[in-house]
Amino acid sequence: MRRLRKYKPFVRASAIDMMAYRFNIITWAIVTVFEVACLIFLWLAVYQSSEGGIDSSINGFTYKEMIVYVVLTTIFGFITFNDDTLWFINRDIRQGTIGNFLIKPISYRGKFIASNIGAFLMMSIVFGIPLYAAGLGVLIGIGYLPVASVWDFIAHFALFLVASVLACLLNGVISYIFGILCFYTSAAWGLNALKTTVISFLSGTLLPIAFFPNVFREIVAYMPFAGMSQNPVLILMMKYDYLECCKVILISLAWLVLLELFAKLLFSRAIKVVTVQGG
Amino acid sequence: MHYIKLYFVCIKRSMLSRLEYKKDSVISILSFLLSNACALGSIFFILQAIPSLKGYTPAEVGFFYGFSMLPIAIDHLFSDEFWLVAYRRVQLGDMDRHFLRPIPVIFQMFAETFQPDGFGEVIVGITMIVICGLNLHVSVTFGAIFVLTIGAIFGALIITSFKIALSSLAFIFKRSGPLLQIVYNFTVYAKYPIAIFPKVVKFILIFILPFGLFISLPVDTLLYGNYNPYLLSLIIIGVSIVFFTLATLIWTLCARRYESTGS
Repeated sequence: MRRLRKYKPFVRASAIDMMAYRFNIITWAIVTVFEVACLIFLWLAVYQSSEGGIDSSINGFTYKEMIVYVVLTTIFGFITFNDDTLWFINRDIRQGTIGNFLIKPISYRGKFIASNIGAFLMMSIVFGIPLYAAGLGVLIGIGYLPVASVWDFIAHFALFLVASVLACLLNGVISYIFGILCFYTSAAWGLNALKTTVISFLSGTLLPIAFFPNVFREIVAYMPFAGMSQNPVLILMMKYDYLECCKVILISLAWLVLLELFAKLLFSRAIKVVTVQGG
Repeated sequence: MHYIKLYFVCIKRSMLSRLEYKKDSVISILSFLLSNACALGSIFFILQAIPSLKGYTPAEVGFFYGFSMLPIAIDHLFSDEFWLVAYRRVQLGDMDRHFLRPIPVIFQMFAETFQPDGFGEVIVGITMIVICGLNLHVSVTFGAIFVLTIGAIFGALIITSFKIALSSLAFIFKRSGPLLQIVYNFTVYAKYPIAIFPKVVKFILIFILPFGLFISLPVDTLLYGNYNPYLLSLIIIGVSIVFFTLATLIWTLCARRYESTGS
């Protein structure tokens, strides 16, 4: 516990930072509303064109469920993926400040985990609570998200919170790994774009993994990305029974441990090649 | 003539500074290709589950997607500097040198950056058009090709006009990037045939933010011969000239309000 206390300032600092950076939230909100609307129109056209008509189920999703999915993944992404890890590593390399961290009695990785948690907490409290409350309220209210029993919903919501934290940490470690690649290429823009693309496709943010072709789907379901967007959202939508919930959470946990180990290994190698420009 | 020469001199300089970051460019192009592959993959995975999207086959939807990239890419090649104007340069008061030169400021903005990343989009777009086009079995007429070319080039001019007009608002409000971002992001709607959207959205996409006019209607002309290609070309050219004239007018009016930082 004592060892963890020294990371507390980082949690706090990044939480405060988050508020400073998010002043363009209105822009985000407007852009997102139009994008989500576009997706909803697209799905409406897709279901209207399907053989069974608008009320059919495609790959296990009805039209209503698909809209719920689109709305919830959008909110989820906004609350959970707020890491500047890659940019900070890039800055530390370019400005040479990485040297300072190597001589301090805190772990470089630990600092980022603390920041990720801080940002996640702040986003969850300030935007998560109202956005999820409004989103779920409306979706349940208009009958798009049926709730069998209140307890069932509460239990799934609790599991969703666990899955969210794991998603945030997974996103953090993947950003960190891509960040370490900046040691080798200094192409931060490109690496960040690459990371965003890979995550948004393989995590089911673009479309649910159930739509992928057979073998590909099986592979992607066991990759760490599925736990970063699709699985938490499907837990929240109560599409998984408790056994499946536990299974996907355990998979995420296993990946988190594995990726952290990999990141540690990668960092210890990369730090030997670091070239600080100017210092 | 003098301006054309000047343009190439400026562009050469901008390209030289880009060469500093070769690795960065390769990775950005790679990630760009990958992100398009993912977006296209998603669309095809969806289309596999249904017979056709409101009558459009996967090849036709792919053709739309590919064609929609061309006007966006052409605009991207030439007018990237306006993003900086909208987001940063006016706010920082960093435009003084442009106002001091005896050349129109708006020309200098075009000459400031040439964004070769746009070539990636052009290549992907044309590849998509060719692959999907070969699978389409439509009779390719000269008129259809003509209206598609006009749609790509003058469509780009319409997008650029929006960029000029909205970024020039920064001269009044100091920062207009977010507004530009909001309007620009409507291009996500341009990737699909407008037939899939509700009436209100169709109306907006033809009469207000005319992405549908220069993307959807020309493609429909090729696929189904819905419209007279020459009349449509004339309308697209006319609309783009009106937009561009208005945009330069707004820019000129707003630029008078530019304030230096005084330091």
